[in-house]
Amino acid sequence: MRLLIVDDSNIIRSRIARIVSDPRLPDITIVGMAKNGVEAITLLQQHNPEMVTMDLTMPEMDGVECTEAMIKMNPKLNILIVSALSDKATAIKALKKGAKGFLYKPFTDEQLVEAFVELLK
Amino acid sequence: MANDINEKEITVFVDALIHYFVQITGEKADVRTAFLGDGEALPAPHEFTGMIKVSGGYHGFIYFSADRVLLSRLLLILQEPHHTDEQMLDAVGEIANTLAGNVRRHFGEQMEVSVPSTIQHAKSEQFQNMVRSHPYVVTMKWKQYDACVIVDIVRTAK
Repeated sequence: MRLLIVDDSNIIRSRIARIVSDPRLPDITIVGMAKNGVEAITLLQQHNPEMVTMDLTMPEMDGVECTEAMIKMNPKLNILIVSALSDKATAIKALKKGAKGFLYKPFTDEQLVEAFVELLK
Repeated sequence: MANDINEKEITVFVDALIHYFVQITGEKADVRTAFLGDGEALPAPHEFTGMIKVSGGYHGFIYFSADRVLLSRLLLILQEPHHTDEQMLDAVGEIANTLAGNVRRHFGEQMEVSVPSTIQHAKSEQFQNMVRSHPYVVTMKWKQYDACVIVDIVRTAK
């Protein structure tokens, strides 16, 4: 499985990269890490990932806009939103744009693994 | 003052702060005080400060400020090998962002939050000039390390 990690925090990007090596998950190869939506679109075109973890509040292009653009490019893409924005309206908006799941920050390692397991079902 | 958020709403920030430390470290942060600050006598900022600009139905800023030692412990728990100033700034920015994002559960999507900006070595006077005269101040301790959250927001008049 090819994964693209999108988050403006370097700490979060490297944390997600570490957690996805969990043995309960299938082999996941990180094909890129982007700190905003614009970089993410470029990496999507270059590496054709199957899964994306997507932050919402980012500079340049936010996660909702980026999700919409990515799904237009690849409707089968599995996008997991990983965001602190905890109001229901935002989650619904992201899911309507084509995201497959939503995980609230702050998350534990276990919660991210479970979110991936759900996403890959 | 009529558009200020009230003391009850400050508990939403306190809860978000406690939740953050429990989720990330497995340990509860001890909230020491939550009070209406006096601009001239705000607590001195810690070495690293993350801030989020709030707009839309509310306006103002939310700050999270902590010292290197607290942030280093946090980065160790996150298994982050690099403890540079850049990583410390990233950490306070991400914590401020998480608190601001989480309180939207209460305040709704009309509380628009910016991407974080960060400052290192903010001076007390600089901090006092940045905030209004009476922001809410939440001081906390995690392990033996101090940090604070300053909530300086008001509802936008309709």
